[in-house]
Amino acid sequence: MMCTAKKCGIRFQPPAIILIYENEMKGKSRQRIMPVRNFSKFSDCSRAAEQLKNNPRHKSYLEQVSLRQLEKLFSFLRGYLLGQSLAETMEQIRRETTIDPEEDLNKLDDKELAKKKSIMDELFEKNQKKKDDPNFVYDIEVEFPQDEQLQSCGWDTESADEF
Amino acid sequence: MAEDRAKPCELDQEKYDADDNVKIICLGDSAVGKSKLMERFLMDGFVPQQLSTYALTLYKHTATVDGRTVLVDFWDTAGQERFQSMHASYYHKAHACIMVFDVQRKVTYRNLATWYTELREFRPEIPCIVVANKIDADRKMTQKSFNFTKKFSLPLYFVSAADGTNVVKLFNDAIRLAVSYKQNSRDFMDEVLQELENFDLEQKEEDVPAPEQHGSTESPSSS
Repeated sequence: MMCTAKKCGIRFQPPAIILIYENEMKGKSRQRIMPVRNFSKFSDCSRAAEQLKNNPRHKSYLEQVSLRQLEKLFSFLRGYLLGQSLAETMEQIRRETTIDPEEDLNKLDDKELAKKKSIMDELFEKNQKKKDDPNFVYDIEVEFPQDEQLQSCGWDTESADEF
Repeated sequence: MAEDRAKPCELDQEKYDADDNVKIICLGDSAVGKSKLMERFLMDGFVPQQLSTYALTLYKHTATVDGRTVLVDFWDTAGQERFQSMHASYYHKAHACIMVFDVQRKVTYRNLATWYTELREFRPEIPCIVVANKIDADRKMTQKSFNFTKKFSLPLYFVSAADGTNVVKLFNDAIRLAVSYKQNSRDFMDEVLQELENFDLEQKEEDVPAPEQHGSTESPSSS
C-alpha cells in the first residue's frame, strides 16, 4: 500500500497517536487513529514507540514516521499524565535530546550517560569516515598552526594565574 | 578469593620495566571520545581487554620505533573517570599520557586542570599530549588558542575520531614520546619508587611470611 505520511500527532484523551496521510488517491487526506493502550506515567517512551512502530496493524502506515518522532509524542503524553505543563514537557524533551555544553556528564548515572552518548553518536556516525568508504584514508594529517594571531577559545578565566 | 588471586597477573605491571614495553594512559572526562580515538587508531587490529574489576580497558598494540619492536599497552578508563579521579595503579609506571577534551563542551576543557594535577602528583615528568577531539563537529575551534596548553607548555593536537584527522599521528607521536621518555628519563619519582619497592621487599622478608595483602585491613606496623 502506498502511504505518504503528512502529519503525526498525539491526542491525550483518550490517548491515541493520530496520523494524517495520503494514499494512492493523491490530494485526499485520510486520518488514522491508533489508540495507545497500557501506557502510564511510568512507561518507557522509547519502548512504547518501538511497539507501535512494529505493531502489525499500523506498521505499514508508520513507515515514514521516525522512531524518534513517535518517542517524542509519547513523551508529551507522559508529561500530560504527570501533570506537567506543555512548556515543562517541551523543556524536558529538549534537555533529554540535546547536549548542554555546560553540563558535567561525569555527574550522570550509567543510563543517563548512555543516553547522552547515543545523542553524540548520531553526529559521530554522520561525520564518520568508515574503513569501507571508497575514499577512506587511514592516516590523515592536517596542520592547524597555533600562532599569535589566534583568537582565544573564550574558555579560559580572566585571571592570568589560572588558565 | 581464589578468583581474586588469579586476577592480578592480568594486571602485572612489572612488565613495564622491560625495555620493549611501554604503558600509555588516557585521561579525560566522560564522553570526550577516548575509546573512539583508540578504536580509530587500532581499527580492526584491536582486542580490548575489559578489566571490569578495575574499571579499565586495555588495548594492546605492537609498534615499530626506529626499527625496534615496541609492545604498547594503552590504558583507557571504563567509567572510573566519573569520579574525577583515577586509582593510583592507573598512573603507576606510565610512560606517556594522552589527555582528551571535547571541543564542543567547555566543561571538559575546564576539567583538564583537575586531571593534570592528578597526573603530575603520580607522574611528574612523563610526556603529556593534550587532545582537542571532535573537530569535525566544530571546525572553527581549530582556529582558537587554548591557554591551558600554553601555560604548561603541552603539545596540543586537533583531532577527530569520526573523520580520522590527526588520530594516527597523535598515537604514533605518543608512542615515540613514551619510548624516548623510557630510554632517557632519570625520573626522580621513578627512582624514589624503586627505592621504596626495594625497601618494601626487605621488610617483607623480615616479617612473618605474609599472604597476599589484597583487601587486608591490618594496620601498618609501626616502625
